[in-house]
Amino acid sequence: MKLPLRWAVTLLLTIFSIYLVFVFNEEGPLRILINLLTFAGIYGLAAIGLNVHFGLTGLLNFGHASFMGVGAYVTLLLIPHAAGREGEITESGLPFLLALLIGVIAAALFGLLLGLPAIRLRGDYLAIVTIAAAEIFRLLVRDLESITGGVYGIINFSEALQKYRPAFLESFVSNYELNPSQVWVGLLSWTSILLVLLLLRRLTNSPWGRALRAVREDEDAVRALGKNAVWLKLQSFMLGAGIAGLAGVFLAFNYGSLQTTTFVPLLTFYVWAIMILGGVGSLTGPIFGSIIFWVIISETDKLASLIFENANGQQLAGVRFVLVGLLIMLLMIFRPSGLLGKKEELLLNVK
Amino acid sequence: MSNSLIRVHNLRKSFGGVKAVNIDDLAFKSNELTSIIGPNGAGKTTLFDLISGFQDEDEGQVFYKDKNITNIQPYKVARLGMVRTFQLTKVFDRMTVLENLMFAGSEVSNDSLLQSIIRTPKQKEYESLLMEKAIKIMKDLNIEQMSNSYARELSGGQKKLLELGRSLIKNPEVLLLDEPLAGVNPKLAEDLLQKIQNLASQGITILMVEHNIEAVMKISERVVVLAEGALIAEGPPQEVRENQKVIEAYLGTGDE
Repeated sequence: MKLPLRWAVTLLLTIFSIYLVFVFNEEGPLRILINLLTFAGIYGLAAIGLNVHFGLTGLLNFGHASFMGVGAYVTLLLIPHAAGREGEITESGLPFLLALLIGVIAAALFGLLLGLPAIRLRGDYLAIVTIAAAEIFRLLVRDLESITGGVYGIINFSEALQKYRPAFLESFVSNYELNPSQVWVGLLSWTSILLVLLLLRRLTNSPWGRALRAVREDEDAVRALGKNAVWLKLQSFMLGAGIAGLAGVFLAFNYGSLQTTTFVPLLTFYVWAIMILGGVGSLTGPIFGSIIFWVIISETDKLASLIFENANGQQLAGVRFVLVGLLIMLLMIFRPSGLLGKKEELLLNVK
Repeated sequence: MSNSLIRVHNLRKSFGGVKAVNIDDLAFKSNELTSIIGPNGAGKTTLFDLISGFQDEDEGQVFYKDKNITNIQPYKVARLGMVRTFQLTKVFDRMTVLENLMFAGSEVSNDSLLQSIIRTPKQKEYESLLMEKAIKIMKDLNIEQMSNSYARELSGGQKKLLELGRSLIKNPEVLLLDEPLAGVNPKLAEDLLQKIQNLASQGITILMVEHNIEAVMKISERVVVLAEGALIAEGPPQEVRENQKVIEAYLGTGDE
């Protein structure tokens, strides 16, 4: 019985990770845990989008950060906000849900725009183009200061979302000294994960999902059978980009301010690490991958400080990346299909 | 002209300095089983690639039912009813045999994203019909016991069968088979050959690239011989077999 074992190990590891948060933080562990779970939700959502690209369709997308960025920027610019050095406040704006919808669609359209010239490229070549496109996007946003606020970013937008925060949340979180805004963002991102997963479960088992898997397996055969592989790949690219855009919006609200530096390639690499950890091609894998990943990111310096007593903060901070790298190496050796990926469907061997 | 289903005219394709295909005129008749033979590097597969749109020609035209299909996308060629297989079998490894067949048989409209989200009754009905069709094909090809196995778990011969089945579920008018017998055990090869012959008798036009000369001579109605990209002979099997040029270029004198 492979399946239950895989799940048991994943759940145990996840619970153990959460337990570590309580061990390492004697003061206010819950606060740290909520912060961590919010990030995990947002990055998990982004990883689910990436899994549509890579796990389902075999597209090597290394520009995920730009899709998240487009979603975030478009949405924030449509709601009341303050952008740029002067920080002039724009009072008028669309209702949050409408702006969010447009932001997500914009991210999907950016996927289409990038995909039209690039999607014909295979494997590594697509990776190169997407990572370059994402950097171009980031630099463009930085330089178009009059619209995007440039390096000064965008602030004062949180209210548009926070005004919908239910009252019961307030009374609930105040007992635990939590930040209600963050709890609200976290809650919304995990709700989104649930909805997106329900949609994707429906889709992956459908004729459409079957067609994308066929593209992943062999594009030439797909074309020889009368199917337009390019169009199928574009659809996948748009769907995954839209999901990333949604994650980008939540990321901005979680920070409370939007900076171009958020969308550096490192963000893409984090999302990749989460997807690989959780299991490429597994729908629910990224969720658990994300939680474990964030515990490692946020708690390893504390673990390291127990081992290296004389190290300073900066040195300790480096340890986390060593550990993430080590973890991925161990994973590749002992469980290359990730926590929840199926060994028979091992996908990390791009042709 | 009128009874030629596929015709290539002044077709040229070079790779670097090598002329891979260099054919002035070649036509394939409807309802005929034609084999294309020739030494390695003769341009057989390249000819298939040019006809099916997988490569662009340097020069020349390809006609299908008198319609110019030069340089059109492979999926459009397939939609016209001309389906090809590959020399190196291309099955969808990490999909089940059933999924391989159902994907192949599924109409483009059935694969639509919107329909797949809504899961229309129409789609459900179509899918169940498709499954029946796929099961029938698996039975015909004797791979129904592998229905739920991943395609990559199949043997080489079974993969060839699956690829053939995947083409058949599309009800093709023309089948381009690129070495259907390569790497297949003798018993299965005989079955496959019988199968191909049956398909031909059902009215499917078949073009086959094959090195198994015995098989070719046995089932082909017409044989086309290529060498170094050029057409050196064509005609009924017996005639081609005795053609001096063919013997020199490919068949040899037979005293091995």
